[in-house]
Amino acid sequence: MDKIRRALLGQIAKLTAGAALVPLSSLASAGINDQPPRREGDPEKRYGMLIDLRACIGCQACTVSCHIENEAPLGSFRTIVSQYEVEHDETGDSATFMLPRLCNHCENPPCVPVCPVQATFQRKDGIVVVDSDVCVGCAYCVQACPYDARFINEYTQTADKCTFCAHRLDVGLLPACVESCVGGARIIGDIRDPDSQISRMMKEHYSELMVLKPEMGTAPHVFYLGMDERFVSRPDAKPAIWDVRDQQGEEIGYEFSGH
Amino acid sequence: MNSAVIEVLAPRYGIAWYPWAVQYFFLIAVSYSALLLTVPGLLFGRKNYESLAKVALLVTVSCTLVGPVALLADLHQPLRFWHFYANLTPWSWMSIGSLLLPVYLMLVVAYAWLAWRPAMQVQAQSEGWIAKISGWVCLGQWQAPRWMLVVAGLGALVLSVGIMVYTGAEVAIVKARPLWNTHWLPVMFVLTGVVAAAGLVILINRLMTGNDRDVNEQSLKVIVVTMILSALVAALWISEGITGFSPSVEQAFASLQRNPEWRAVAIYGLLVGIALTLTAIVMLRRPGWLGRSWIAGLLAVHIGWTFRWMVLMEVQTVAKNTAGYYHYAIEAGSSGLMGIIGTFGLWLAALLIIDILVPWKKSLQAGAH
Ligand code: SF4
Ligand code: SF4
Ligand code: SF4
Repeated sequence: MDKIRRALLGQIAKLTAGAALVPLSSLASAGINDQPPRREGDPEKRYGMLIDLRACIGCQACTVSCHIENEAPLGSFRTIVSQYEVEHDETGDSATFMLPRLCNHCENPPCVPVCPVQATFQRKDGIVVVDSDVCVGCAYCVQACPYDARFINEYTQTADKCTFCAHRLDVGLLPACVESCVGGARIIGDIRDPDSQISRMMKEHYSELMVLKPEMGTAPHVFYLGMDERFVSRPDAKPAIWDVRDQQGEEIGYEFSGH
Repeated sequence: MNSAVIEVLAPRYGIAWYPWAVQYFFLIAVSYSALLLTVPGLLFGRKNYESLAKVALLVTVSCTLVGPVALLADLHQPLRFWHFYANLTPWSWMSIGSLLLPVYLMLVVAYAWLAWRPAMQVQAQSEGWIAKISGWVCLGQWQAPRWMLVVAGLGALVLSVGIMVYTGAEVAIVKARPLWNTHWLPVMFVLTGVVAAAGLVILINRLMTGNDRDVNEQSLKVIVVTMILSALVAALWISEGITGFSPSVEQAFASLQRNPEWRAVAIYGLLVGIALTLTAIVMLRRPGWLGRSWIAGLLAVHIGWTFRWMVLMEVQTVAKNTAGYYHYAIEAGSSGLMGIIGTFGLWLAALLIIDILVPWKKSLQAGAH
């Protein structure tokens, strides 16, 4: 991606983070693929997460604790921290960049209207959840999410994703990933409450906040502080530990190959 | 910026739609396309298209019956299919499809039943178990008026437009996959579906009837016209990407940048397309070669199926967030290779059962009047 394009994307990223704060009042028109009405959850609240990348050390404690808390199958993740090694072409200096990823609990979530049986829905507090008793496992939502935040859980054969640990939030606990974060990088809270830590931080850093893939028009509600514009959309990067096949096309030592 | 970025640990995401999806999209497209090919001969009763209609009707019925099985199999919870009807969701294209599909299936079956019934009634008069079954299937010896066939046929046609729209829209609305998110995709699905259906008609014509010249000629003409249209659409799609007229197509191109495999695929598609069009044209020009139309038929089926494979499977290997491309190695299990072979096996079984029970080569109801 060239410089101008990147700068532009960065601009959009900032703008959209702002626009997401204005509650999308009414999306309820009858058109196909429009957002259906929200249900359940506290209508007074709107949960969001702020990830302070300056405090993230890339330890994957969140990845592990989420995995244990939510019993995801091996090899499937509700959250993961992408780690990038950035090398300057001329000086050869290198730096690392950590990017925790999880469901963005989008204000305009494309995963919701596609669901043919209303198993995926958005609660009034903004949390996007899946009712695994209703889900038929068609995986349409997995296709529709621009962030690869969803997967088909191989145990339940239904769609699975980060729920902001709604089961914990609803009883006054913090999500597993927030609780276990070593650097205190993940801040979750009600962005409608002006006194919450997340609201205060968002106000303070308003102009620096960015969201992922703003060009998708999803209005994500996971906000990043200390974000590098180059990573907002699919980064122009080379995978390092990636090629899990040898020259004969056989899998080589992939940790979770036993599925 | 002058820097090289390495993603240290890229997680591997499995694909979410299995080859079953390809089978469904292929069979249902062949189904509605072959239905179109029955129209002149069966619905309009044009004598010189009757042979084409006979073969096309067999193709459409067999594909319509087997397609939904593949669709069901692509659900990870197939036994919950009734949830579709317990939770009607008019804003979801897939839900709309779940309503259209059974109605379409019933209308196609009714259309074929009415078309084949007179010949089956005759068959029911003779001795043996086939005659007995024919008698049951015919539900008596009463004459079905022609308007019933016309109503069923028109109904099936209307519903088939619904199927074209929903199968196309279902995929094309997915913004998260720029390669799908183009209004040209539904058009290409229909065009390549028609090509494949005409190809399959030629193959069945070669294998199950006497390699009828009219059928070969008419199908080849259909192939030539649709291939030219496909080329136009492909050109428009590409020019949208190059000019940046459509941001999603531009993004789609960007996501494939510098990927030699995808470039090879594009070149291969172009070459096979040209090969098929030229083969069909040459065969039409040289009457002596019409008997070898099955070569064009094979190519046509190959194009229709491979287009869907590329669109539905390979596009899923383009990472949304992370660096690189996922590898999709087709598995041997029921979600992979066995699924593909199984669906084709089921289709072949349906074809043979119909062939045993139904005297489909005899004149259709249209000819009886
Ligand atoms: S990140 Fe994906 S799964 Fe989460 S709400 Fe947005 S579209 Fe849906
Ligand atoms: S996989 Fe489940 S939650 Fe996702 S779209 Fe299909 S039915 Fe809905
Ligand atoms: S909020 Fe819960 S489900 Fe979501 S990433 Fe954190 S631990 Fe996982």
